[in-house]
Amino acid sequence: MKRLWTPAWIARHVAMVVLVTAFLALGWWQVSRAAAGNAISWGYAVEWPIFAGFVVFVWWREVRHALRDAEAGKTAAVGETPAAGDPTVVERAEAVEAAGVRPRPGIGRPVRVTRTVGGHGEEDAELAAYNRYLSWLNANPGAKPGDYPG
Amino acid sequence: MRAALTRYRVIAWIVGVVLILLVVIGMPLKYGFDEPIVVETVGQAHGFLYMLYLVATFDLSRRVDWPLKRMILVMLAGTVPFLSFWAERRVSTLVLAAHTEPAPQPVAG
Repeated sequence: MKRLWTPAWIARHVAMVVLVTAFLALGWWQVSRAAAGNAISWGYAVEWPIFAGFVVFVWWREVRHALRDAEAGKTAAVGETPAAGDPTVVERAEAVEAAGVRPRPGIGRPVRVTRTVGGHGEEDAELAAYNRYLSWLNANPGAKPGDYPG
Repeated sequence: MRAALTRYRVIAWIVGVVLILLVVIGMPLKYGFDEPIVVETVGQAHGFLYMLYLVATFDLSRRVDWPLKRMILVMLAGTVPFLSFWAERRVSTLVLAAHTEPAPQPVAG
């Protein structure tokens, strides 16, 4: 949970609260204008709460990602049994984090799941090479497999 | 990814053009000539189109794995007249540079 209370994260929480409050206030302002007879304000009165909801949605998604990254980092550390106590592993992880590179957990962003779930990097490389070969065959109808330059 | 980029570019252009209509034509008409019809109609449409822009930007940023900061900057760029077109060019070159697929190799011999 400490991950969500770093200065950067507190700034994000604050930004979320400020934006949502401001958007809802603007929405309410438009509602009052609409009630006062300005019919066009009904449209804006609908739009502002939607923007507020979108802010919450993005914030919540970032929180979930951070938590999932933390979870994946934990399980990865446990998974590497021989290296679990190895200080170099911890150091490496810290160096990666310090460099600003987000560590890649086993489960990535939702759209990437099918790609990362494949297993080891070696298998993926093999599969990718095979797919390249297949697409080459497809792009060169009539070519013999022996002609494949890759 | 290509499809998401195309969706983003289309809506970015539409929102950019509508925003310029609003600022260059609508605002002078309303505040200079007391004729608010353009602001009332185009302004409403712009709000809803901007929502589509946000959704398209969000979808693209998720697919190409942008950091949060860049996503927010691109979203904000859509609210600035004229700058939105520049931002659209930047985003397109950035995304295409990072995600160009290798061309099929020629037949040997």
